[in-house]
Amino acid sequence: MSTLIVIDQPPYGSWAGREALDMVFSLAAFDQPAALLFTGAGVNWLRQQQAPDAIGQKSVEKNLSAAPVFGVEEIFADQASCQRFDLGPDNLVSGVTLAANLQAVLNAHRHVTFAG
Amino acid sequence: MTPTPLSYTLVITGAPWSSQAPQSALAFARELVTAGHRVDRVFLYGEGVLLASALASPPSDEVHWPRQWAGFLTEHSVPATVCIASALRRGIIDDTEQARYELPASNLLAPFEVAGLGDWVEGNLKSDRIIYFHGSN
Repeated sequence: MSTLIVIDQPPYGSWAGREALDMVFSLAAFDQPAALLFTGAGVNWLRQQQAPDAIGQKSVEKNLSAAPVFGVEEIFADQASCQRFDLGPDNLVSGVTLAANLQAVLNAHRHVTFAG
Repeated sequence: MTPTPLSYTLVITGAPWSSQAPQSALAFARELVTAGHRVDRVFLYGEGVLLASALASPPSDEVHWPRQWAGFLTEHSVPATVCIASALRRGIIDDTEQARYELPASNLLAPFEVAGLGDWVEGNLKSDRIIYFHGSN
């Protein structure tokens, strides 16, 4: 019974994505299978060398890198969105599965939940 | 024909007055109960925690969504959790957290209770359906 949390918001405009990340981590902490899908502007979560100090925020890169430690099964990124935001092998964080067929990703999970 | 009764967890992530989420969720919850279904739990997350402020004071000719929700929860004995991390960030504070952080006041509206995401995880496992009411961000 796996849950897919979808993040479609960029990382620093609101707190919704961070709170979605907490949802994924808590599922994993209770041994419930969970995965993340980044799509739309949400793929910017996966950009290397984010520098949000100037707006008084902490980089989400560090939060995200904890995902495998918590037991989050997989991190998917929508391939088309990555292309749109010019994210490729050179500037994408490691450990991300590019998904060309989003329908297949959605179908593989019992629950699909959007960040607020 | 009466449908098979189902159990529901309702998650509200949109705040009252800046989104439609709390009132949509309340309308849905009332219909569920009328139709013979059960609401296992209401879980307030993100901006949704602002629904649990005992200090919200809209003009008297507007609907008071926190009180409407509190009335529904009490009438139907539905437990309602406010996520502690979301609540602390946004200044929704119960007596325990007031003491812990030495804050000048508390403002959690009864019967809402502060707890962690574990209550939401439990809803994922226990309820037949889990329904989300989001804001507009």
